[in-house]
Amino acid sequence: MSRARARLDAALGAALAGLMALAVLNVLWQVASRYVLQSPSSFTDELARYLLMWIGLLGAAYGVGQRLHVAMDLWPARLDARVGGALALVADAGVLGFALVVWVVGGGRLVALVASLGQTSAALGVPLAAVYAALPVSGLIVAAYVLLGIVERRRERAGETS
Amino acid sequence: MTEASVLLVSGLLLLVARVPVGFAIGAASVLALLPSMSPEPALMTVAQRIAISFDSFVLLAIPLFVLAGELMNRGGLARRLIELARRGVGGVSGGLLQVHIVASMLFGAIAGSAVATASAVGGVLQPRLREEGYAPGVGAAVNVASATTGLVIPPSNVLIVYSLASGGVSIAALFLAGYGPGLLMGASLMAVAAWLARRGRFAPDREAADPPAAGRVLSALPSLSIPVIVMGGIVGGVFTATEAAAVAVLLSLVLGLAYREIRLRDLPAILRDSAATTGSVLLLIGTSMALSWVIAYGRIPQEVASALLSFAHDPLWVLLLLNVTLLAVGTFMDMTPAILIFTPIFLPVATGLGIDPVHFGIVMVMNLCIGVCTPPVGTVLFVGCSVAGVTLGQAVRPLLPLYGAMLVTLAVVTLAPDISLALPRWLGFVP
Repeated sequence: MSRARARLDAALGAALAGLMALAVLNVLWQVASRYVLQSPSSFTDELARYLLMWIGLLGAAYGVGQRLHVAMDLWPARLDARVGGALALVADAGVLGFALVVWVVGGGRLVALVASLGQTSAALGVPLAAVYAALPVSGLIVAAYVLLGIVERRRERAGETS
Repeated sequence: MTEASVLLVSGLLLLVARVPVGFAIGAASVLALLPSMSPEPALMTVAQRIAISFDSFVLLAIPLFVLAGELMNRGGLARRLIELARRGVGGVSGGLLQVHIVASMLFGAIAGSAVATASAVGGVLQPRLREEGYAPGVGAAVNVASATTGLVIPPSNVLIVYSLASGGVSIAALFLAGYGPGLLMGASLMAVAAWLARRGRFAPDREAADPPAAGRVLSALPSLSIPVIVMGGIVGGVFTATEAAAVAVLLSLVLGLAYREIRLRDLPAILRDSAATTGSVLLLIGTSMALSWVIAYGRIPQEVASALLSFAHDPLWVLLLLNVTLLAVGTFMDMTPAILIFTPIFLPVATGLGIDPVHFGIVMVMNLCIGVCTPPVGTVLFVGCSVAGVTLGQAVRPLLPLYGAMLVTLAVVTLAPDISLALPRWLGFVP
């Protein structure tokens, strides 16, 4: 495993653990504030939704690095041995294309649009652009993982032949 | 209908090229919009649909239930529930298989996912099944089939997904409606397991001769407080499904710490891994919601509805037709995208014929439970085989009678809505 991947894994893993812990505490606080303090919290619903957006997208990006996403396996093993490398490149291109075109470009445009309108959230007052930024940020991470994977495979093959 | 043809062709090509399903669904949605929309709005629309689908408090229940399941898994809960199940059904024919099914149902009633159940319960029981001389394929098959009962028995993440896709069918009603069909499915699997055990002439079980000590059984009881508190809280209106999930996280953490199986320093890795699992589920949800929007944009649901209704008018025939279609869909598609994509298409047809949306949701989930156990795309099947260390080929033969049991249960529940609706109706959640 390359050092770049190890660093990316560690940083992203820590961020995900932190967001997840925050999500749990936030919802527990919502229950506690309603029943124990008798004054329902005003921000927990909004924070929960924004946390989910970041956890979902960053988690999906992390999943690309860990190969957690399910793909259909329709190729017979014998054929796979011959054209497997080329096939993997096609699949990589699909993931990379979607991440760059939809998450980075489409999501980026969305962030720019929201930022230009200067919208902020109702309860927390955070700029909505910061919430939607989860799309382009995660898209870039997906791209990084796909490229790392291609480079690593190439290095492995070079190692095998020499 | 150009949207439909572009969707089908591009989606299939991407899947065959082994692009992960979540990404393939998203990419096909963008491509399907291109004939009728210029590229930039098409991209922004799909990006926005993905983002908007995550902007939901209800959906946060899914990562929280995933986290609770992970905590229970590492907290040794599966082992304790197995002891409890041994005490109950260890003496029945095919003892260890029966124990497996009951433990999966108990675990499923606490966690919300079949994959978690298959790896947690199967992880403990598969080696033991092998020691006692059960054919490895039989153990794997029973693990796979029984893990899906947890998708019908509440709490269940896929029922939350259905509630979302249906535009807000009550989660409490769906959860309550899951008990009857889930128990019935478990019972029919147990009947098949007894037959499999007798036919396979497996070595006599040590289970009956050596019942677990009372102390070990008692230590499982606190874990059973989790479903009581979670379901009691939801049904009693004390908290929402998402809040219940957070409470389940807290309870399973406390139990794991009390059993001394989880240490605080394990927490970051547990949190990270649940977020990663969540990410792959949510990607499917986000892109399926985008696809569902594209389908609605192409007015495909109306076309399908009129085609279906011109074909059959009798509710029973329509239900049969929908069931057959979903069985076919389920073999090729994972449960979450199938629910998100086909609910908006089929539910209006069903409710138009007077079928209760709660009942339809249960039928749909039970139907797709069979799909997650069948190749080529069967997430639970893959997990079950890898936990048991067997090939797909070894597991599929003993799975055949279990598929049969699941199909019969599905037919019975489809034809007798009372099995699902009696409990929620009695408690006033369904008219």
